[in-house]
Amino acid sequence: MHQHFELVRRLRVWQNIMLGREPRKGMLVDVDGARSRVAELAERNGLAIDPDALVEELPIGVQQRVELLRELEREPSVLLLDEPTAALAPAEIATLFATVVQLAKRGTAILVVTHKLQEVIDYTTRVSVMRHGKIVARYLTTETSTDEIARAMVGGELPQVAQREATGTQPCLSVRDLSAGVDTTTVSDLSFEVSAGEIVGIAGVEGNGQTALADAIAGMIPYTGAIELDGSADALKHRENIGIVPQDRHHEGLVLNWSIVENAILGRQNLPGIRKGALTNWAAARADAEAIIERFDVRAASADVAVRTLSGGNQQKLLVGRALLGDPRFVLAYQPTRGIDVGAAALVQSRLIEARNRGSAILLISFELDEILALADRVLVMFRGKITGSFSGADIDRGKIGRLMAGLT
Amino acid sequence: MKVVLRVLAGPAGALLLAFVLAAVAMLIAGVSPLDGFGALFSGSLGGRRPIAETLVQTTALLFPALGVSLAFRAGLFNIGAEGQLLMGGLFAGAVGAHFAGPGWLVIPVLLLLGMVGGGIWGGIAGWLRARFNASEIISTLMLNFIALSLAGYLVAGPLKSPLASGAETAPLLPSGWLPAFPTIGSLSFGDTRLTISILIAIATAAVLSFIFTRTVFGYELRAAGEAPEAARRSGINMPRMTLIALALSGAVAGLGGAAIVTGVLHRFNTALSPGYGYTAIAVALVGDLNPLWVCVAAFGFGILEAGGLAMQANAGVPKDAIHVIEGLIVLVLAARRYFATRATGAPV
Repeated sequence: MHQHFELVRRLRVWQNIMLGREPRKGMLVDVDGARSRVAELAERNGLAIDPDALVEELPIGVQQRVELLRELEREPSVLLLDEPTAALAPAEIATLFATVVQLAKRGTAILVVTHKLQEVIDYTTRVSVMRHGKIVARYLTTETSTDEIARAMVGGELPQVAQREATGTQPCLSVRDLSAGVDTTTVSDLSFEVSAGEIVGIAGVEGNGQTALADAIAGMIPYTGAIELDGSADALKHRENIGIVPQDRHHEGLVLNWSIVENAILGRQNLPGIRKGALTNWAAARADAEAIIERFDVRAASADVAVRTLSGGNQQKLLVGRALLGDPRFVLAYQPTRGIDVGAAALVQSRLIEARNRGSAILLISFELDEILALADRVLVMFRGKITGSFSGADIDRGKIGRLMAGLT
Repeated sequence: MKVVLRVLAGPAGALLLAFVLAAVAMLIAGVSPLDGFGALFSGSLGGRRPIAETLVQTTALLFPALGVSLAFRAGLFNIGAEGQLLMGGLFAGAVGAHFAGPGWLVIPVLLLLGMVGGGIWGGIAGWLRARFNASEIISTLMLNFIALSLAGYLVAGPLKSPLASGAETAPLLPSGWLPAFPTIGSLSFGDTRLTISILIAIATAAVLSFIFTRTVFGYELRAAGEAPEAARRSGINMPRMTLIALALSGAVAGLGGAAIVTGVLHRFNTALSPGYGYTAIAVALVGDLNPLWVCVAAFGFGILEAGGLAMQANAGVPKDAIHVIEGLIVLVLAARRYFATRATGAPV
């Protein structure tokens, strides 16, 4: 089962599951046979599903179920799951693993690739840790801990995440009655504020309007309502005021064929200091690049190597480093530690907290509840384009947030 | 095997392979490759006059190739350099036929008019892409045909010189002619077709190189070409960039049209270009879209264009064979990516 869904969105559930192995009646597909087989398969595995539903109309969690059923239909003796919970809410994760554990008990060998250590501890029997393409440690799950696994992943002690300091509560970013987006990725009537020196986390399962919210704030899509920085909509258009970590570093954040120096000023190319008349001040650009490399521990032979040659973690550190350069008033961080190792992630998280301590207002959008809980002063839960819950300080409750993320109350 | 592949992955190896393939083609046609290539190179590099003619061809290819490079760097497939070249020539020729005045005034004005003509033609495609998202590949190509027909109609009708037998504008007054290439020591080019337009072309390449590497505009243009989504998110107005890049690209090609009118023909007719605008695409790609390397590539293609005529006259190889060689070079260079992948396991 692949990390990214390999489903034909315009086909029905039974068609996806039987694709390539359709039972036949002469030259025709045995539709009734296929449907009843899918229904029976779902029943046997305790995965409720409507065989006739169109895949594109199903919620993500249910699509994941279709993926799993498609693999189970082959009655595999070995089942490989690549980051199976990346797009799932906590409740859906529990359901998925309940099924998987049942399969294991019936004799299927199961290999799960995941970066979520708690899942490893909760559901597996043995763990192997991979680093740089090699297996560096093996444990029995009952004899290890998340800390030990994390240390093996980093190859040493985990860097300490920076401490939070008391900061003011001066409102910085304010969003009022925001509606934006099209089709399935919309937000409607969102209102919230982010204060200077505060990290507000948007918790939610992927595909519940986070992209529309981020794009509206970044000025990439039209919206109704108001988004203001320090009481002014114009201030948000001035690049020196905002730092943005886009979700997709390869397409939205970096020019892969360019050097670190060239990438260090992307989005900042018209700021005074970088732009001198019609010319680019490459000396200033290089200084910025060197500063990012040093502060964010970007591992590169030099500032002139193509960003394409860096590892994902180093690319991400460059991206976050650029967004935090010059301590902007407001930072939008969308999945800032996506797909990077725990060491790099800890560093990125520390730098975000340090920026907060220096007075930046930070909006953190993440699909990893653990990351939100680790970083946010305040948590807003997003479900189907609306904010369905707000928690701060001692009221932050993992269980409640998890239920709201799944649309339960 | 790896070594062979690595050599083939370089531009020199690609040229070599193209010439080997061309030699095979000549053998099949019953001509000795030695005679054929001998005529080709003596006709292009063997003396003052052949070299002058090679440089004339180089110039004619260089302007449109630089224009094409600019658009390609912005991620826009401008294959309309031919039409932009013609429109530039048309603007310069139409006005130049009636424009009397001192050379220091007439020549810059005519060259500027060429840029305007080509710029409008490129700009139309840019506007269609920016406003309606119409593919610039289709529109620039179609605009070539419109340019050819429009120019053909104008020189056969409204703009036709009453004194000329063919379809062409009245000749430019001599004050509108580009000066001959300066004498170097005892080497004079006064009796050849070579003018200072080659210097203008090289200066244009230098300006483009400066724009790409040093200016914020060039930075944004390259970002738009390399990673459109990242460029958009960095605050670049992409429709505006599309319009400007295609207009500028057309203007550079149009400057080339005006340079041919003021430097070589001294009038405008539709025989101005035997397809320079199309060959220019190959020149730009061979030059890796880098203005300075495009100069080198244009010289290489200039040798082929100038030498081809000599090869036809002296070795009995049809001039079309030159186009076969040009085609082979482009094919082999396109295959570089494949050779490089096979040699190193990584794409170039």
